[in-house]
Amino acid sequence: MTDIAIEQNHQIENHITSTGLSSRKLLMWTFLGSDVMFFGAFIATYLVYRGKSLVGPYPNEILNIPITSVSTFVLLMSSFAMVLALHYVKEGKKSLGSFWIWSVVVLGVIFLGFQVVEFTEFALHGLTPRTNLFGTTFFILTGLHGGHVTIGVIWLIFMGVAHKKNALRPDNAEDLELAGLYWHFVDIVWIVIFTVIYLISASDGAPVTVPHLGH
Amino acid sequence: MSDFWKELLTHKGNGWWNLPKTSQSEPNPKYEGPIGGPWLTNWWKFLTHSGVDHAGPAFYTVVAIFLAVITLLEVWIYTIKEFGVWLNPILIVLSLFKFIGVVAFFMHLRFDHRYFTLIFSFCMILGVSVFISALLMKSFAKTIQ
Repeated sequence: MTDIAIEQNHQIENHITSTGLSSRKLLMWTFLGSDVMFFGAFIATYLVYRGKSLVGPYPNEILNIPITSVSTFVLLMSSFAMVLALHYVKEGKKSLGSFWIWSVVVLGVIFLGFQVVEFTEFALHGLTPRTNLFGTTFFILTGLHGGHVTIGVIWLIFMGVAHKKNALRPDNAEDLELAGLYWHFVDIVWIVIFTVIYLISASDGAPVTVPHLGH
Repeated sequence: MSDFWKELLTHKGNGWWNLPKTSQSEPNPKYEGPIGGPWLTNWWKFLTHSGVDHAGPAFYTVVAIFLAVITLLEVWIYTIKEFGVWLNPILIVLSLFKFIGVVAFFMHLRFDHRYFTLIFSFCMILGVSVFISALLMKSFAKTIQ
């Protein structure tokens, strides 16, 4: 039974296509391309509403750049761990492959922990998605990114278990490569978010002129 | 020192550095589309290559250090107020370097089939166009007010 399953998996890995490319990899790149547009729209929305909040807390009062820099570093290093995991799985080095896959999972969980702490901190300071335009656009964008990271962590836990049970081997390492592409994509989205929201917008305060809303 | 760079930048088989072959050194898959003559075949050859090798751990370590240094540089630049109006363009350029570093090397686009680069680049252009359009609409709305 197991032999049949392995044989079927092997056939999926080496299927013949008119382009000579793996259909699964092509699908993943197409999905990532669509996700670029998805995140592009939300980042643009953040910038359109930048500086339009009429009430605080404003970015300069609440964003914590040192803490976010550390979480950015953690996510970058998780990408590094991911690329090493794929390398060692392809080489058939089981213990190293396992070590790096679980390192990615741990680093991903640490990043999510930073995000939970940040969101809690913001809520304690009175910033929620309903407080102002900054809160709405910030929580939607970073929350969606956090959702992507969570999916990536769950996917990689499955990969780690599959590797332990010998279901992830050098001949079907493309399974891990697809998860890796997704994980790296999450990383590049954060590179943009960190620059646009945290570094560029961190000095944004209250608007200079507040429109008169009364009669 | 020159040997170090030679080892880093040239393909040395299956060594620890194990830098991949360039796309051009790999055979092209045969064009099997329904239409086309030499012109289309040449285009197909340009668009495709089957570079399957990836770099080695040492190369990825260099890329990771590069990414970490740029992140540190970004945070340091952010703290310096003297950059004034140049601050945002500098930060955007630095994040672009990081973006390219991850996409080209960690995501293997540099080593992989060129078709994947084409798909991702096309979507990036569309995404950036949406992004710029939204920002332009914002500035036009300001002008009208």
